[in-house]
Amino acid sequence: MAKLLLKKLYKRYSNKHSKLQNDFAVNDFSLECNDGEFVGILGPSGCGKTTTLRMIAGLEDITAGDIFIGNTRINDLHPKDRQIGLAFEDYALYPPLNVYDNIAFNLRAKKVKEADILSEIKRIAPLLKVDDLLDSRPVSLSGGQKQRVNIARAVIRKPKLLLLDEPLSHLDGKMRQVLRTEIKRLHKEINCTTIIVTHDQLEAMSLADRIAIMKDGKLQQYGTPLEIYNYPVNEFVAGFIGEPPMNIMTVTVSKTDGVFFFNFSGTDVSIPVPTQYYPHVQEGGTVRFGIRPSDVLIGQQSSMGSMVQVAVFENLGEECRISIRVGDDYLTMTTSEEIRYRQGDVIKLVVKSDRIHLFNPVSGDRLGEKI
Amino acid sequence: MACIELTHISKQFRKYFALDDVSFQVNDKEFFVLFGPTGAGKTTVLKTIAGIESPDEGNVKIDNEIVNLIEPAYRNVSMVFENYALYPHFSVYDNIASPMRSPLHKTDEETIHKEVHRTAAMLKIEHLLDRLPSQISNGQKQRVAIGRCLVRKPNVFLMDEPLAHLDAKLRHFMRAELKEMQANFDTTTIYVTHDYLEALSLGNRIAVINRGQIEQIGTANEVYYTPVNQFTARLFGEPEINIFGIELIECENGPKIKMLNNEHFFDLEPDVVKVLSEQNVHDLNLGIRGTCISYSFAKEEDNFFDGTVYSLEPIGNKSILIVDIDGERIRIIAPNDLHAELDSPIFLKFDLKKALFFDRTSEEFIIRHNQAHYIGGLI
Amino acid sequence: MNAKIRRTSVSVVRNTLLTLYALFALFPIFWMVLITFKSDSEMYTTTFLFHPTLHNYKEVLLRTDYFQAFLDNIIVSSGAVLVSVLVGVPAAYALARYKFKGKEDLAFTILSFKFAPEILVILPLFMVYQALGIYDTYFGLIWVYQLITMPLLIWVVRGYFEDINVEIEQAAQLDGYPWHSVFLKILLPLIKPGLVAAGLLAFIFAWNSFTFPLLLSGFRIETVTVASLKYIASDTVHYGQMAVAATVAALPEVILALLIQKHLVRGLSFGAVKG
Repeated sequence: MAKLLLKKLYKRYSNKHSKLQNDFAVNDFSLECNDGEFVGILGPSGCGKTTTLRMIAGLEDITAGDIFIGNTRINDLHPKDRQIGLAFEDYALYPPLNVYDNIAFNLRAKKVKEADILSEIKRIAPLLKVDDLLDSRPVSLSGGQKQRVNIARAVIRKPKLLLLDEPLSHLDGKMRQVLRTEIKRLHKEINCTTIIVTHDQLEAMSLADRIAIMKDGKLQQYGTPLEIYNYPVNEFVAGFIGEPPMNIMTVTVSKTDGVFFFNFSGTDVSIPVPTQYYPHVQEGGTVRFGIRPSDVLIGQQSSMGSMVQVAVFENLGEECRISIRVGDDYLTMTTSEEIRYRQGDVIKLVVKSDRIHLFNPVSGDRLGEKI
Repeated sequence: MACIELTHISKQFRKYFALDDVSFQVNDKEFFVLFGPTGAGKTTVLKTIAGIESPDEGNVKIDNEIVNLIEPAYRNVSMVFENYALYPHFSVYDNIASPMRSPLHKTDEETIHKEVHRTAAMLKIEHLLDRLPSQISNGQKQRVAIGRCLVRKPNVFLMDEPLAHLDAKLRHFMRAELKEMQANFDTTTIYVTHDYLEALSLGNRIAVINRGQIEQIGTANEVYYTPVNQFTARLFGEPEINIFGIELIECENGPKIKMLNNEHFFDLEPDVVKVLSEQNVHDLNLGIRGTCISYSFAKEEDNFFDGTVYSLEPIGNKSILIVDIDGERIRIIAPNDLHAELDSPIFLKFDLKKALFFDRTSEEFIIRHNQAHYIGGLI
Repeated sequence: MNAKIRRTSVSVVRNTLLTLYALFALFPIFWMVLITFKSDSEMYTTTFLFHPTLHNYKEVLLRTDYFQAFLDNIIVSSGAVLVSVLVGVPAAYALARYKFKGKEDLAFTILSFKFAPEILVILPLFMVYQALGIYDTYFGLIWVYQLITMPLLIWVVRGYFEDINVEIEQAAQLDGYPWHSVFLKILLPLIKPGLVAAGLLAFIFAWNSFTFPLLLSGFRIETVTVASLKYIASDTVHYGQMAVAATVAALPEVILALLIQKHLVRGLSFGAVKG
């Protein structure tokens, strides 16, 4: 249980054979996590998230910058002295030992008394639902069960910090949902500062109190799931968070009678520019327009909007999705399950104007109000 | 022009039944989806139709002709393999062109050039035609594999998880593309996936397969609203459908049900009552989806259930709220800006008009209210 | 700074050691070529400084039937490799793709032929060959050479076939290629590196073979290795001439190996081929 502070971390690989020779795998990365907080580091593969986690754990050297756990600077501490619990992908369970011994291993190494080990395991095992697996060997466990044991092993030492590396990535759909909930419950029970690293935005969104999004070694945005979802700071974050992904396309800006409009290529669709964006658009210019599928609606005949033709209608159970052709791309909207359309039907497209996102076509940065 | 029929196909690998008495029929020009969890036998079905695997029992018919003994090359089918199976020493162009250069389907180079470019443009890989498979990403390899399948006009397209390795954005885009193209496909297609969204979206009909056996064949509405059993019900929908046991109580004015920890007797709709008494079922399970349950932080009426918040998982445009009622975990959909403390009290209301009733012992589906509306009424 | 100095000094030490070893390894060959130019009279009295002469070359190449031996070597070695390829490649495919009882035992048995010392089997083979009447024939030698050429070829090519995902063959069939086209157009190009490397190595083993041609032929057919024995005369060993015989005999292999150098490295590391 402790605060974690990452101060201007850099990592450069000096190995001649590394692909990132002279490039920074982690570049000026700073992060502050409160005591007991669940923080997710999210990004595509190769973005530097695992490298960052390994630096915190002590498995990688730190090129520059500092890491503090509580008030202690841990840069030069050996991994075993950092009081960190690791549940890493490649940190496999010991095959010849049963689950009980696997979990007890670290405690025994620290010469903890057997009676204390027993009571600790009795406390932790039910939280991760491995209490009826204590006699089994790793080889007979499913992927989900192995993961739980892995986490139990990390958590038993009452670490100051718990580090999880892609804990759900190798599990299939249902198991993933179940373990996600279990991890969330576990965090509440043990209240340990936890860092989870993942490339799956759903995992990060559902588990973390705050999410740090990384790309190419740099921090893109750090905020609560809702903040990042509603106010993505650039096009990359906007397209990365949210399922189905945000519709992002280049639009041209026109002006009629003093009113600006967004025009979508290949269609008659024309959407009025919300007034707060007026300072950011120019007549004849282009800008990157973003709107989430849930913020695009089918309007009544009488409402303000454009008539468009349904290119694709998908019935997906809890909701339906309608896609409209825009040039080479699609604009997708989600609707309730009861509404049905066919390919070729004409509908009125309405966009929630307070949910429009605009991005600079060159830098990708968010235009308009920032939080 | 081809309909496909499998009759009583069984296939064993050592002691394990990959396929167990599988029968189904695919109509000409139909887009038929084979859906099920990993290891269910979907790929084996596809390979049996292609001729790459031979069944131990049963017949494969293409266009009403038994083709069990016909070599894969002569069945005139084309396939997208889940692991792409691209020729490593051929360029992307040559990979896609390969079916039209084979001894059996030889075409002139001019036509090949036109078709390859058309297919590559549709899949957005035209700029990669000169590259080797080792020089392109997984998502691009997958599209090349799809291109190689689509470039010809065979009897049937067989697609094995063609969108599995694409990133989310590309997957959504390709799914919409495939759906849009469907109208212009005049070729029978059998499409394998473990993603229920793909199944519901693309299939004219969906065959649900589990452990080598067909559970149900139906339209998207049929498998989602009237799944043949609890297993199938659980496969479709996010969050997973809630299924728990209920008690059927005989009262003076008809049977009512009691559920979970609530003493209230719940009414049943007349059409449901009719079927339940006809079938004389006593042990019932109730299935209800997360979209048919509402919540409140105050107990507004007697028919609200007392529960505690077990987990709250925001997932973008909504949240999944998991409520513990008497040890049962109920999953419901909630707005994405909902705040709720874990283990705090919360109250749920179920819309029984949308509930599914299952036989507890056999786990088979019995009835839901206004069943006909869901199968016939909606598109 | 420390790291940089350390890296440079490691590099220097490493290169020095490698150079020393190279000198050590190449010296015998250098010496051999050197003495081809030394006359017998100067053989024991001089080392590096002497009067070079072409007398040894004239003796060996023009006076004896060296070229006939050279030719015999070519015939027998190429023949052996050819047979090994024609039989070995299908065998490798069968071992890679099919499942049958005793497969691994069979595979290991085939490989074990390479391990067995030739001396061990030579006497029984001699008697069998005499009985069959294939003693001292091209046919006989090519056949017995399979013991040294085939195992390696099958082992390497099998690895290559195993690395090729079977779905690639299935995809080719569905594209409309009958089986022989699949083999020629798809499989053969993919195993080429391994085949070339293994074939070359097999050729070298066959070319250098001494025991088999010594005891299973020797009159009508004389390989270059056996022919070199001739230079041990009753009174003296004509080292210069023997050296010529050895140098000229080594030339084809060296040239071949240099030409196909890059295939050799790539070809012998099975893991290189990824689908």
